[in-house]
Amino acid sequence: MIRRPNQTRTIILLVCPALIFVLVFFVLPLIFLLSQSVLPEDGGFTLSGYLEFFQSRVSWIVYLRTLKLGLIVTGICVVMAYPAAFVLARMPPRRRSFLVSLVILPLMTNAVARTFAWLIILGRRGMINQTLLSLELVENPVRFIFTETAIVLGLTQLFLPLMVLPLVSAMENIPDDVLEAARSLGANRLTTFLRIVVPLSSDGLVLGATLVFTGSVTAFVTPAILGGSRLLLMSTLLRQKAVILFDQQAAAVVAVVMILTTLAVNLLLRVGRVQQG
Amino acid sequence: MPMVSRWMYISLVILYSFLLGPFIIIFMASFGANATMAFPPQGFTLDWFANVFETSQFIDSFWISLHLALLSTIVSLVMGMPVAYALTRFQFAASGLVETIFSAPILVPGLVIGFAMLNFFVLLGDMRVMTGLFIGHTAILFPYSVRVISASLRNLDPYVEDAAVSLGANRLRGFLLVVLPNMQAGIAAAFVLGFITSFNNVPVSLFLSGPGVTTLPVSMLSYLEYYFDPTIAALSTLLVIFTVVLVQTAERVLGLSQFV
Repeated sequence: MIRRPNQTRTIILLVCPALIFVLVFFVLPLIFLLSQSVLPEDGGFTLSGYLEFFQSRVSWIVYLRTLKLGLIVTGICVVMAYPAAFVLARMPPRRRSFLVSLVILPLMTNAVARTFAWLIILGRRGMINQTLLSLELVENPVRFIFTETAIVLGLTQLFLPLMVLPLVSAMENIPDDVLEAARSLGANRLTTFLRIVVPLSSDGLVLGATLVFTGSVTAFVTPAILGGSRLLLMSTLLRQKAVILFDQQAAAVVAVVMILTTLAVNLLLRVGRVQQG
Repeated sequence: MPMVSRWMYISLVILYSFLLGPFIIIFMASFGANATMAFPPQGFTLDWFANVFETSQFIDSFWISLHLALLSTIVSLVMGMPVAYALTRFQFAASGLVETIFSAPILVPGLVIGFAMLNFFVLLGDMRVMTGLFIGHTAILFPYSVRVISASLRNLDPYVEDAAVSLGANRLRGFLLVVLPNMQAGIAAAFVLGFITSFNNVPVSLFLSGPGVTTLPVSMLSYLEYYFDPTIAALSTLLVIFTVVLVQTAERVLGLSQFV
């Protein structure tokens, strides 16, 4: 690399336009949001917004429900993605890249379109209800929409690719020899999978789990369509406080709690990964 | 193939039916003749597709989304590229901080970004809805453009550029004539990724949209609040075809999956 005396000036020139943009239009609004949560329009500094949030039963239920569904979705994604990613990673490159592009496909279509399918599947006259009715298993349509199950299904479909992709790229790096060595030393398939494949792909697992969990606890479209106002999550609660109740301070509190939750998860998993490495 | 047992193939089948099944259902529903979305659809009609093109709300917001995605992707690339260049070619004390700042928009929930920006813009005074949307989308695209361009710059041997400089080109000429042509694939990948991220975004646009100025996914969401008919299915089918063409082309030409 060529060193030059005015390097600092060059770096500043290169970085500054974008940096100023991000600081003014992204960091500053977030600082303003933080101040909104502790400074009501008609008074000085107060933590009453946070007190209200954490003392309200409804907010607690919504917050815990959000975390719970996030965990369930992450768990389902791990179970569904792990064996499938392993098969994908062991495939010949051409077939693998075709199948991986099919995993990316849903990621590239907007969430409204993807969630809409669940209305057709789960609706009053949807696929499942029609089947149940025609088999005479139920007399009246079962309500699936506006249930936690519906939200979990929708979120799982939405975020599954984010678990599969990091896992596939982590598993691609496991050499065939290692697996064959384990087998020839007497390990059966399950042991090899649990004691060789899982530890060697833990980076991908951690990354995938972070993406799926943070995605699930902050997603808006899926809970808006499949949960509605009857089954609020943090994101739909934020929207309700801001747009329907016009309580900007309460909305700001919800927003800050959402930011802190995502940051905490990211930090936690990053620390875990550093310690492991 | 060693190590891959039959039940693992079953897991592959489950994965793909879960990922792609909903699309098949949308596809079928968009041709069904009954207006109430009962399943299985009866009859065959193209009316819902016609309805998409007759609904001005969709047409208007499609153009807005297209403009917005093109504009914010290009701006985030043009501004993000120098940052990626600085991060990969120079060592400086604040590089870690710069990297963190430019990856931050990905860590903050989109809905929160949109909400915070709306409140901030109101504070600033009158701002056109389109300007607000443009700022929001550009900000959330920086992480993608900086990361993908950085990856592509790291793959390029810095000595190639140094050779150009030592042969008498200045840094800028070296960049334009040597570096830029060599990272076409990275730039194109960042462009496709940015475009799709912006084009599909709901949470950031939700608060920033205004009367008459709405992005396509947000107008689909608000349509769903009032009507429950296969028009959305037809529109979704069109969007899926649009995406398949875009993504398959990008994947074939550039190997998009390595950047996601």
